[in-house]
Amino acid sequence: MLIVGSGAGGAVTALELARAGLDVCVLEQGARWKLDQYGQGSVEAMRRIYRRRGMTPILGRVPVGYVEGACVGGSTEINSGFWHRTPREVLLQWKAQFDLGEATPAELEPHFASAEELLGVSLYGGPQPKSTTVFRRGIDAMGWAAQEVPRAAPGCKSTNACAAGCPTGSKQGMSRRVLPEAEAAGARLVTDCGVQLLVHHGDRITGVLAEVRRDDGTRELVRIDAEHVFVCAGPTETPALLRRSGIKHHVGDSLRIHPMLKVAALFPEQIDAQDSVLPLLQVKEFWPEVSLGGAFFTPGHLAMLLSDNWLQTREQMSRYRNMASYYVAVRGSGRGSVRPSLLGDGAPVLRYELSDEDVINLSKGLARLATLLLAAGATQVHPTVQGLPTIRKEVEAIRWLDERLPRSALSLTTVHAFSSCPIGERRDRCAADSFGKVHRYQNLYVNDASMLPDSPGVNPQGSVMALARRNAVHFSEALR
Amino acid sequence: MPSARSQRVFVAAIGLLGSAVFVTLALRHLDFRAVLSTWGSARVLPWVPLAIMSYVIGHFIRGQRLRVLVRRETILTLSTATNVVVVGYASNNVFPARLGEFVRAGMLAERTGMPLSQSLTITFIERLLDGIAILVLLLVGALSLGTRPEWIWNVARVGSLVFGAALAVVLVAVFLPSVVLATASRLSARLGARWRDRVLTLATSITVAGAVLRRPRDAMAICAYSLIVWLFEAMMFAFILPVFSLDLHLAPALVAMSVTNLGILAPSSPGFVGSFHFFCSQALASQGVPAATAMGYAIVVHLAFYVPVTLWGAGAILWYGIQVGATAAMARAARSSPKTDTVSGVPVHVIARLEPARVPRDASAFDVALTEALLTPHGNALDRAALVEVATFLTQEMEALPARLRVMFEAGMATFRFYVRLRYVRSFCALDLERRRAAVNSWAFGRVGLLRQLFRPVRSIALLAYYERADVARALALGTNG
Repeated sequence: MLIVGSGAGGAVTALELARAGLDVCVLEQGARWKLDQYGQGSVEAMRRIYRRRGMTPILGRVPVGYVEGACVGGSTEINSGFWHRTPREVLLQWKAQFDLGEATPAELEPHFASAEELLGVSLYGGPQPKSTTVFRRGIDAMGWAAQEVPRAAPGCKSTNACAAGCPTGSKQGMSRRVLPEAEAAGARLVTDCGVQLLVHHGDRITGVLAEVRRDDGTRELVRIDAEHVFVCAGPTETPALLRRSGIKHHVGDSLRIHPMLKVAALFPEQIDAQDSVLPLLQVKEFWPEVSLGGAFFTPGHLAMLLSDNWLQTREQMSRYRNMASYYVAVRGSGRGSVRPSLLGDGAPVLRYELSDEDVINLSKGLARLATLLLAAGATQVHPTVQGLPTIRKEVEAIRWLDERLPRSALSLTTVHAFSSCPIGERRDRCAADSFGKVHRYQNLYVNDASMLPDSPGVNPQGSVMALARRNAVHFSEALR
Repeated sequence: MPSARSQRVFVAAIGLLGSAVFVTLALRHLDFRAVLSTWGSARVLPWVPLAIMSYVIGHFIRGQRLRVLVRRETILTLSTATNVVVVGYASNNVFPARLGEFVRAGMLAERTGMPLSQSLTITFIERLLDGIAILVLLLVGALSLGTRPEWIWNVARVGSLVFGAALAVVLVAVFLPSVVLATASRLSARLGARWRDRVLTLATSITVAGAVLRRPRDAMAICAYSLIVWLFEAMMFAFILPVFSLDLHLAPALVAMSVTNLGILAPSSPGFVGSFHFFCSQALASQGVPAATAMGYAIVVHLAFYVPVTLWGAGAILWYGIQVGATAAMARAARSSPKTDTVSGVPVHVIARLEPARVPRDASAFDVALTEALLTPHGNALDRAALVEVATFLTQEMEALPARLRVMFEAGMATFRFYVRLRYVRSFCALDLERRRAAVNSWAFGRVGLLRQLFRPVRSIALLAYYERADVARALALGTNG
């Protein structure tokens, strides 16, 4: 069994197949890093563990900054570890729209439970950081529904290094426990091995062509044969690999994201957000269309947030200890695509067009987030909107309930991408069947974020791991 | 299947037949006494030595071009690279049907350790660039001449078609490597694993060989060297004009050189006997030079072309101990099945060696100047070391963009630099900090959305790298940096 990718989907697949006694080999494009090599700051992290050093923008009329991990563990090494089970209504929607078989909350329960046990998913145990308490103050003032989000980070030491790889090992990226357990069960992990093409003969995949980097720095193109191939290279690389290999049926045509608009808020009191874990609360009052929450914060990231109106806002950098950053995330009703670039190395070219609904939701979301933060005591709110440097009063915030933010002025980011190879029994809109087996191929599967039929509306790691485990278990049982 | 021996006999026969045809064409209606008479009045000194020197210098430039072509793979000394080139030329003078190109590729493979298919592709790229350079010089020469015979345009048209098609193939291999690999994989799917691997090895070698042309600076250098090489060869043709009391002009020499070199692409005997003389004399005769003089000229040029390089090549072959048999053995080795190996204990079939990973570029003077303009607050000066570090990070981040975006970004920055030169009549780097900042801000915060988009990632990455520095955060906390 070849598994391409070692992120949330690939690691779980490797673990389940290895536990089932199958001969498993995981091919990972990136390197394996040790704990003491993590947490070296954003700049070093971008060099080492981000795909293309973090330069993977999504193109469109409004470009969206997007990053993902490219190391053993994939994006689970650089995310915040927030954990959500797929909401019931989302699963129902997937069943109705994609005919996704056997994916009810009850059927997924053991898969979620298994993943949560593996990762030690729990609420933050330490004292709430200041960036969270001021956010709670605003939520309480507004009287909105909110929740502290559980995280796959038991015993979190609040080092604020989630995005640079957790140096304490508290956050359970796939490299911490899942992959070591898979290896203990017999799986082999090959790092620095980027799969370029799937080799197929008729309706069977016979192996892959991969680029391997040797210890002496030389690179070779090699063929690795396989009986079955699971492509778990992530929402952008999986469709690009399939399409490069000539597999195009509903592949890369339906990329979905959670577009995110960030703000920096200035408070009268010292927050020291750069020294603590990011805010742990999410406002669910306006879910599923809009979520509000806290974002990763360092002086460098603050400067990026302020950079859209830098001439007016740069003086705020000296007050960074009184600032924290938050976000508006919308479910994303626009459509995107993933295509391998013809030019150069065939890297994925990502496109996404914001829908009008997205813009409206972002506008309303900004109004609500800014109102909340002002109610929490913030004196200034700086959104990442060019030409809109500062919101100081509630009246300046609530105008965006009725007005639309200018599309061309938005500076959006996202870390959630999915649905580029949707699964389900609807062949007219899905790339693979309900268990990830790619239509028209006997031994090819997708099993990562690309398989989610549509936006889950929440952080996707839980959905990816549960569905991946379900598919892997189904596969190994069918093989028996 | 014909045997290797019968193939060689067939190739030699075709070559000899070609030569016989061209010798007949060249010599018919020729007044041999007049040819001898032109030789009697020939002025060998100083022109023939000058011509030979010019030709030899051209070979050193060919060697330098080869060094650039292979520098992603290996470091060749100028003398070795030149000798590889010369051995190829000398072998063409000894073997029929341009078999010298294979000898050259074989020696290149032996000297560098690269696969023969890759060195053959490099040789092909060299010869393609030669063809294009010759065509360009033919057009320049023809346009400079008073008389412009129609056949020159016909030659140019045919040459453009042939080299244009070859160039298109090379450009696809160079710039769309993943497409080439995918296509090769798909086309060879039914051939079985062994032959499919061979096809993939070949396809990969071709794309790897052309990788150097993806760097604009290297590509420009290689093209420039190609033009210079053939200018020197044209000078060889020019220096022999006064030997026969013809005026020393570059234009007729350009035409004669171009026509001759395009003409000897046709199969002929070793040393291009016949075809060389026919095309060279015809090129000169079409410019009003008497047939006997033109033939005398062609014979001397051929000797200058043939003798020194053949001797030099023979010496180089002896020096390096290269034999045709060894080259053939290498070719056989290159054709053998790809080897099986293991990677982290997993069995793999090695298809091909790839070019080394690209070394991240350091910041240029422009990158540093731009970073300084983006970061520096009014009245403050940034630490130089920090500035260079941030600029280097910024440079490497922008290099990491997917190919298409990188091209768009670089085009945008080139436009910005051009705008600055027009607006301030100086280069961006030569402007003082205030003007640089004004120029950057006029685009980065101006009214045109596209220009704002160009500077948005640059600014935010520079700011990220700068404010992530521990010393900057400390200074901020103390209120000494803003």
